[in-house]
Order: sequence, then structure tokens, then C-alpha cells
Amino acid sequence: MTATASVVDEVNERSQAMQYLEHVMGTVVTIDVYTDQGGAGPELSLALARARAILHRADAVFSTWKPDSPISRLRRGEITEREAPAEVVEVLGLCAEARDISGGWFDPWAMPGGLDPTGYVKGWAAQRALDVLTGSGVSGALVNAAGDVAGFAGPGFTEPFRIGIADPLARDRLFCVIELTGAIATSGTYERGAHLIDPRSGRPGARVASASVSGPDLGLADALATALVVAGMEGLPVLDALVGYEALLVGFDGTARWTDGFPFATKLVGTAPM
Amino acid sequence: MIGATAAGLVGVLSFHTTPARLTIGGLSGTSATRTSPPTSVAAGPPSGQGGSGAGTATTSLPPTSPSSSTTRTAAGAQVNYNFGILSVSVTVSGKKITKIGIASLNDGGNFRSQSIDQQSIPILEQQALQAQSANIQGVSGASYTSAGFAQSLQSALSKLHVA
Repeated sequence: MTATASVVDEVNERSQAMQYLEHVMGTVVTIDVYTDQGGAGPELSLALARARAILHRADAVFSTWKPDSPISRLRRGEITEREAPAEVVEVLGLCAEARDISGGWFDPWAMPGGLDPTGYVKGWAAQRALDVLTGSGVSGALVNAAGDVAGFAGPGFTEPFRIGIADPLARDRLFCVIELTGAIATSGTYERGAHLIDPRSGRPGARVASASVSGPDLGLADALATALVVAGMEGLPVLDALVGYEALLVGFDGTARWTDGFPFATKLVGTAPM
Repeated sequence: MIGATAAGLVGVLSFHTTPARLTIGGLSGTSATRTSPPTSVAAGPPSGQGGSGAGTATTSLPPTSPSSSTTRTAAGAQVNYNFGILSVSVTVSGKKITKIGIASLNDGGNFRSQSIDQQSIPILEQQALQAQSANIQGVSGASYTSAGFAQSLQSALSKLHVA
């Protein structure tokens, strides 16, 4: 065993991982927390309870599948934005920012069934759940909401989380692995059909097989990934101009393009940066 | 290669399957899997990490662990997912997953569900296997269906005392 490996063992013995599963938002959200002490103390238990509550509250307020949710009532015109819960105003404000940043490629107001902030909410909720964990004495935390991932620190004392990006064309393998810096969201057409709507036409319109966006905030990353799937390669300059956010696009022909700072953990072979 | 197996599977399915006792606890209404950390995440490619990974993991094995050469199969719990009910079967040789399949599946027979299942489940099986050599803590771009798949797989692995 090398000296490096000895250090690794020491790290692993001192850092304990715990995983919690939340059935929420029509999927399972996993919350991984890493502690130096081992076990969840009162502070962490409280933070986990708050994280859970954030996810369920987001589901209750923003589910377009639940007819009585505030967002559903807003969509039907039964309540106004001012009568909706405070989170609705907050999220719609953030959605408007994301729409502007994306050059209109992300637009919850241009969906065929009416206002639909779903493309923002999952990432937003997961990011908020993570944020309450970061101050609770954990050495690292990871929230994974069906493939939209937000992380704080890493699994040990120094190394970052490593996240695989699913290959949209060959789902028996990963396209690449990144070192997580904040958050990463991936949108694509795989598995759930061509459900992504081009806001400029109001119809399904994916121009690439998948788009991944990394950056400090999972809500915005989620929205931008959704935007880039319909914008395709021509959307990349939007990301290039946005400090802190990086993107990787995989075309239907398997070619990839990415912004200069995309946090690959390993180099891609056979493709070139934009 | 325990470290590689565990950390990799963690990746695609978002489950920490480093050999450790499965415990339920923590928050009410929340299932919690307490594990040792993925032992191969800290450094190096999985192939160079097997020794130290295995050493770390062995200390947390349940006393009922079988010898490393035994091949065993178990079916996981039937889990409701978005499009139906599924149960995952898993075969392990010692601590290494050698085969993952579907033990049972009821998707209600509707076309959309069947279409999704036919596309995604074989892929998930392959991902689970592929992941054994990846050194990651999660996957971006995973599906809705995978949550139910992962839950049942976790259940199957815990029956085999490898999770």
C-alpha cells in the first residue's frame, strides 16, 4: 500500500456517510450527508427535517399534477400571483431572470398548457434542501433529485464529488465524469420521450440529445439545461457569457460541444471544445 | 474490488452500497441507509484501489457475510414507481454484482409505460453493471424510473448482506 492510500483510508475512517431517501415530486430524491463524527446529531437531524420539508413544500405548491396545488389554481386563473404563496412569487421572479439569461430559450410562460415552472422547481428545491444542510456541521452533502445534483464540499476532506453524466445515445454507459463544483443538471429527450418544448414554437423541439449545465445554483442550472436542449449548439454562447456556469451538449450524432471551463474529471477523446 | 463495486453502484443508482449493515433510522417517514463511505472515491482508478478499499470495507461487514467466492441471487422488494410496480433481482459473487435483472414487472400494460420500460430497464441494468468500475457518487441525467429500480435493487442487496 502506498503512502497515498494510507491517507485515503484514514479519511474514510473518519468520514461517515449516511443516505436518506425522500419520495417526493414524483420521484425519489436522495440526500447523502458526510460527517466526521459518525451518526446524525441533533443539529443535523433538524437540518435533515428542514430539507425534507422544503422538498415536500415545493411539491405541494408547484405540482402541476395536483389539481389543488397553488400553481394549478394559478394556471386555471382561480387565484392571482399576489394571492399565491410567497414561494410562487419568488420562483416566478427567478424564472423570469432565467428566461432573460437564457435569451428566451427557457420560458415557463410559453408552455402549451400555460404557465409551467417545472423546469426550474426541481433544481430550485434541491438546492434549497442542500443549503440548509451546509450549515449543520456536515463535512459534505449531496442532494440528487432524479439526476439534478447539488453538492457541498465532498465525500472526504479534500476531494470533490465526482458525478457521471449519462450518455444520451448509449445509456449503457456514462458519457463522461465531472468534478462537481456546486451543482449540475442534465436535460434530454431520453427515456421520457420528446417532452421538451421549444418556447419559440410552443411545440416539442429538442436540437440536441442532452444538455448539462454546471454552476453554483441548481435552479438556474436546471433551467439553463432545459433551455440548451431546445436551443442546441447556438445556445452555447449564452453560457459562455455567464460567469460561473458551464455547459456540455451532446448532439444526436454523438458529437459534443462544451464551454471552456466545463469541469471534466477526465478528458474526452475524439471530440473538440467549441 | 469491493471499493470499486460499491462506489460505482452508488454512482448510477445513487445508493451507497459499500458493504455495511443496512439500518433504518434517522427521520420519521424517511428510510435511511447508513453506510461506510464509498471506499474508492478518495484516490486513484478503481483498479489500483481494490486493496485498500476492501480492507476498509471488510471491517464493517455483518458477521453473517458469506465467503467471497459464493454466488447468490435475491429478488428485491416490489416497488411502486411512476409507471408501475417492479422488483429487481441481483446476483452477486462474493461482494461483486455479476447480474442484475427484473424479477417482476407490472406496468399496467399501457403502451407508454411499456415503451418506457423496454427502453429504460435494460439500460438501467447495464448502468448498474457499468457503474461497478466508475468512481462516482451520482449520475446527472438519470431517469424517473431509476428511482424505483434503485430502491428494489437496494432491497435485494441488503437481503444478500452486501448493502
